[in-house]
Amino acid sequence: MPKLDKRSDERLLWSRFLNGDDQVLSLIYLQYSNPLFDYGCRFSKNTDLVKDCIQEVFCNLLRTRKNLSETDNVKFYLLKSLKRQILKEIQKSSNKLVSINDQEYSFELLLGQNNDDQLNELNEVKQQALVEALESLTDRQKEAIYLRFDRGLEYNEISEILNLNYQSARALIHRAIEKLREVIHIQEQKFTQILFSILMSRTRPVL
Amino acid sequence: MDKYKDFSVADFLDDPDFMRWMTDQDHEDDIFWNEYIKLNPSKKDQINEAKLVFRLLQSRENKLTLSEQYDLWNNIQQASKSSGKQIVFQLLKYAAVLIFVFFLGAASYYYYQSSFSAHPLQFAETFPADAGAMVILADGSKISLRKEMSEILYSKNGDQLVVNNDTIRQKSEIKEALNKVIVSYGKKSMIVLSDGTKVWLNAGSQLIYPAAFIKEVREVSLVGEAFFDVAKNPERPFIVKAADVNVQVLGTRFDISAYPEDKIIQTVLEEGKITLKYEDNGLFKRDHTVEMAPNQMVEFDRLLRETTSSVVNVSKYVSWKEGMLEFEKVDLIKALKQIERFYNVNIMLDNQQIGTYKLSGKLDLKNTAEDVLNIIKLTLPVNWQRKTNGDYLLTKK
Repeated sequence: MPKLDKRSDERLLWSRFLNGDDQVLSLIYLQYSNPLFDYGCRFSKNTDLVKDCIQEVFCNLLRTRKNLSETDNVKFYLLKSLKRQILKEIQKSSNKLVSINDQEYSFELLLGQNNDDQLNELNEVKQQALVEALESLTDRQKEAIYLRFDRGLEYNEISEILNLNYQSARALIHRAIEKLREVIHIQEQKFTQILFSILMSRTRPVL
Repeated sequence: MDKYKDFSVADFLDDPDFMRWMTDQDHEDDIFWNEYIKLNPSKKDQINEAKLVFRLLQSRENKLTLSEQYDLWNNIQQASKSSGKQIVFQLLKYAAVLIFVFFLGAASYYYYQSSFSAHPLQFAETFPADAGAMVILADGSKISLRKEMSEILYSKNGDQLVVNNDTIRQKSEIKEALNKVIVSYGKKSMIVLSDGTKVWLNAGSQLIYPAAFIKEVREVSLVGEAFFDVAKNPERPFIVKAADVNVQVLGTRFDISAYPEDKIIQTVLEEGKITLKYEDNGLFKRDHTVEMAPNQMVEFDRLLRETTSSVVNVSKYVSWKEGMLEFEKVDLIKALKQIERFYNVNIMLDNQQIGTYKLSGKLDLKNTAEDVLNIIKLTLPVNWQRKTNGDYLLTKK
């Protein structure tokens, strides 16, 4: 069934690699280098730093292969390693002695930019409200949304990357969804109200 | 199906099946959900809103360019090497072969101790999608191919070639001087090699070959698709290296399609006999050979490293060299991929289900991309439009 193809291919790749087949590393690399690069760029504008970190992640993958298990999701594993690596590097470059804790890094969503096709479905007022609503999210909320909607991770995986329990991770995303729905709806109500009043004003003289 | 009866918008966005539909965009899921909406019209608004929320929450992607991607991979190899782990290095050499396969399709480089001595990087510099169409001679000089269909003819000893009626000389040395033809998307080329073998190179492809065949085996490397009409010479077998497979022939006509972005390498034999060689995935990496007969097509799955064989109407697979595309109940998505390469355009689908429509008939590639899309529009229930960025978008009628 084609439905399962993508996922079973991923599992196949991963188990091949864990069983010592190094030829598939390049396939893993080809599949995940762009998602990793994208994720990394959300933490840092310095693309060279992001690339260096991706390099380190893959070198680590080779070194630590024996400790990994088949049940690990390769995408999740790579994203998690990359985040750890990037925060380490950011900390190094900022000369901080204490490690960066989860509240301290920033995360960029790039929403409402170059997202023309989707945004065009909304009117201008809504677009503006949408951008504002998303800007008002915390960095952690942004990261949770990113991991859920751009990388397609499960809640348990998101909670591990964000150092939260399952319920909090889910709540984080739900709050963001509700915020967005408010934007969509409040505006629509206004819109229908206006529409309604126009219709009424038009029909009145006839009556 | 009852499961979704009391679902809210947020519940849908929690549901693994719904999320898979959004992230994977498989047409199977399309069919399931469209059917579900039809049967449960009351859920339509919620599902549509969940879809809208999902799409609004997706953000713009940062992407590596192909060359950045390639350089980064090289760095990973280097870094592993310098860490002094001999085994890792040794293993990475094979990994290197594989990435090489994907960017160039010229694998089996190490396995068969190929006569190609040029450094892989030299080939990697120019990826067909980015590069213009050109011939690159052994000394590195480039001759650009401006025509949509170029002809390149080599003299018998390889020291002279005619490119679209211009004669060019190059030093013929004792060792094999490698030449390369790159054909970008939207172009094609026909090459007559020094042994008289004719090669039609399809859009977005590369061929690497010696100006003169000096060794006892005639060897060329292919990335992309080409049709070969190999000059008979029983003493000197002709080998085409295309990604993970080798095709060995004495004299015959056949087509190989091995684009780096395709998971399947497809070989179709028109006449004569050819042998396909590949290594399997097993522990011992055993070699396999498949002997092909005329009208046979063999498809090699690069991930599973397995072949499947079928009998086909060859003309449908080789008509591209006459500027025609012929289809018989081919998935539209597959046909569109070929059209994209021919015209160097992007074609998007509004709905993944469109990709499963079956296309039959002939398309004349002398027409413009828009003419071709109009013909498709006549035969299938689709509409097309041009987006502001120049891409085409197919929608359901």
